[in-house]
Amino acid sequence: MKVHESLFAVREHLVGTGWEETEVLYKRGRSRSLRITPEGEVAAFRQEEGWAVRAGERQRSFYYAASGLPRPDTVWPAADGAGLRLPSARPVPRWSPPSSLDAPLLSENEARGFFQAVGRELDTEVPGARLLSGHLEDGSSESQLLSSREVAAAVRHRAAWLRLTATGGGEDAVDLELAGREARQFSPAAVARRLADHLLIARKGAAPARDRGQFLLAPPVAIGLFAALSDLWVGDEAEENAAPYLDQRGRLGTRALTLIDDGRLAGGIFEAPVDGEGQPTREVTLVEEGAYRQPLLSWWQTPTEPARASGCVLRPGWRDLPRQGPTHLYLRPDGSTAVAALLGSLRRGYYLLALEGSVRRQADRFAAPVAGFAVDGGRPTGPIAGAWLTGTITALCNGLLGVARDLTFLPVGGGMVGSPTVLVHGVELRGRS
Amino acid sequence: MPFTQLDNAAITRTLSQIADQPGDLADLFLERRERIELPPSNQAPGLLAWRESGLAVRLLRDGRTWLAGRDRIDQQSFRDALRRVARAMPRSAYPDPELDVEPWDGPPRAPELLEFPSTVQRALRSHRSRASAEITLRCHRRWVRVIGTRLASAVDHECFYSLQAELPGARFGTLLTALEPADAERVALSLFRALETRDAEPPEAGRYVCVLGSAAAAVLLHEAVAHALEADTLALSGHPENAVGLHLGTPHLDVFDDPATAPRAVRRTSDDEGFPVVRRCLLRGGVVEQPLADTAWAQRSEILSAGAGRRGNRHHAPGPRSTHLELAPGELSRDDLLADAEGGLYLPAAERGVLEPLSGAFTLWFPWGRRIHKGRPGEAVGRCSLHGQVGDLLSRVTGCGREVRFAGAGWCAKDGVRMPVWATAPELRLDGVEIAP
Repeated sequence: MKVHESLFAVREHLVGTGWEETEVLYKRGRSRSLRITPEGEVAAFRQEEGWAVRAGERQRSFYYAASGLPRPDTVWPAADGAGLRLPSARPVPRWSPPSSLDAPLLSENEARGFFQAVGRELDTEVPGARLLSGHLEDGSSESQLLSSREVAAAVRHRAAWLRLTATGGGEDAVDLELAGREARQFSPAAVARRLADHLLIARKGAAPARDRGQFLLAPPVAIGLFAALSDLWVGDEAEENAAPYLDQRGRLGTRALTLIDDGRLAGGIFEAPVDGEGQPTREVTLVEEGAYRQPLLSWWQTPTEPARASGCVLRPGWRDLPRQGPTHLYLRPDGSTAVAALLGSLRRGYYLLALEGSVRRQADRFAAPVAGFAVDGGRPTGPIAGAWLTGTITALCNGLLGVARDLTFLPVGGGMVGSPTVLVHGVELRGRS
Repeated sequence: MPFTQLDNAAITRTLSQIADQPGDLADLFLERRERIELPPSNQAPGLLAWRESGLAVRLLRDGRTWLAGRDRIDQQSFRDALRRVARAMPRSAYPDPELDVEPWDGPPRAPELLEFPSTVQRALRSHRSRASAEITLRCHRRWVRVIGTRLASAVDHECFYSLQAELPGARFGTLLTALEPADAERVALSLFRALETRDAEPPEAGRYVCVLGSAAAAVLLHEAVAHALEADTLALSGHPENAVGLHLGTPHLDVFDDPATAPRAVRRTSDDEGFPVVRRCLLRGGVVEQPLADTAWAQRSEILSAGAGRRGNRHHAPGPRSTHLELAPGELSRDDLLADAEGGLYLPAAERGVLEPLSGAFTLWFPWGRRIHKGRPGEAVGRCSLHGQVGDLLSRVTGCGREVRFAGAGWCAKDGVRMPVWATAPELRLDGVEIAP
């Protein structure tokens, strides 16, 4: 039996036995990975597949997920859940899948060659430095969704993930993690340069004295800060949560602050016409040139205005229950501004390259563990590490002076959050949080 | 019980086709998992169920591993996985064996989950707390079997529960092997202590005599002994064999890893590579005796022995990890341990720990503790952390309690793979360890 026939058979079986609200999801994926360590390597090929059912009516429901193909002869669990309501089908704007979805997965030899190239480049950047371990994974997936409310969707994805640990030869070790649509997008030279920067910081960086000034935040730092503010962007309480940070004109920050979530983002890892419940995705502007516009809302949060729904339900795998969240949340870059231009404009301040842990946030205040370089006259001087970028959310948003064009995404909580390098003032650097 | 009706000989013959060079090892890993979750009462109630089964074929040759995993168990999946890991087409092919696996026995059920949160809540009220805990409770069941070119293990079965509780200003998580009233009382007491101490001031930074409760000692052992003595961790800074004979701690420390003496529900007879588990002495009198190793490491060493290979699931290659740590008891009573710790800290439980594998730097985080005053735990202190180098820290152990408790249980994550770990330990006293707020 083909996949679509299996899904149809399960849905019909459940609807036929009285479950008027029934949804069947099937997802399968294949990935190739290579993990290297000094003492050996592991080449793995994974084929994963599974399905999940949500079925119910007004009074009760059940949830069941299993590996393999959907089977109508499954012995279903007891329906001891609360009543269930599923979304109805909505028109999905035209969408063409990107051609890169069909590119073959990275081979074992290509992955090995990538690590060797990173190793060579790294040794050029920092003599004596070497990779301690590396893990590169390249995968593709297809999912299908069918519901009793006429939702019928099929989505394909490609994703690649890279994690490297390098040492400069002593007891210093640094990690780097990247995600992209295809493993072939990762450039060994660029990856090696980032590792070299991190090694230099780890080796020589020291916590600075308390200092203010201007700060250039590289994408990983800016992404961590925006991700820590998710309660301002997602859900029906977000507007209320954001209210204390808005001025009388409803402004959250400077004109450089435009935040967007877009499930259809061209080139994005999760680029798709529908979300995890088969609802159409679209570009939603959350903050426009500093003015707070709207949060991400799901279909159940906009029952009287279905067109306002954002299509923001995530379902990364067949084991995952649907939940609300940004798909590709990003700060709009300025295509005309290079990072070098922002760095050159920094007379005295800091270029913060890495987030060294989680961002702590308590109401308006935040503290982010960071590492990078001090900057004088537009040039990096000494490395700093073990420092904390601290301040208030209000000051951060109102201190955003400029954004560069190097938009970069990182995986956060099942979706992707992106930012270019940003220039801010109004916050401060401390040796302790 | 699944995987008992398989034709072992036929599977072994088929695997031997791809293990065609001296020293090759090929095996078939079969896994079945079930997870049943009771979400917090403020979310849609009812049990959520996940069931999965799959296989993986592995070929180990000269330090290189090829692995192919599938989320089905049938003849076709086995054949596909074999083809993926084979380095050359076999000269003659045996017919593929049937992989008939017994179906699941009835629908997913875990009725014991339903009552436990309210039992915890009642126990919490008995401590005069009106706080309402939002509890997520999960039942985890797993069956595994490994059939290789050299041996075939029996089917091992594990069943345990994980609990996460959210309270206003406090959070608590643990693993349990049973959901008895006594377990609910222990959880409630932990929640009550977390609530009671949530506003306590952390201790001032400095060096303290610290008495670790059994649960905290278990986390310390896991990070500072087990992780530090995993062959792949040791290999980051030299050959793992070089660690044998090193004085890592004081003579008070006799530490074992013994999956066969874990609580019955999670007891193992073989590891995830099908090797019979052994009572492995990691430290004897503070001296390293036998690091944790899997087959890949044992193959290239005359000193390291296999039996500690664990897999997060079928899609991950095995790695050397501990399962059930034991710290042998000392001779001191609790009063003895506290008597010599005036002005120090009593730290009953640790939230988590981390070991930097290359530098040996080590951190443990504690949600709360108590100052030791007149030989007793007194005033509460808030969140704090313990820092040190593994060698230095273990050389500061000055006493072990004589009462051993099944104490440590939690999720251990390494290289993105999460698995449950267990421990049995007495209380432990350390002198002059660095504490930071």
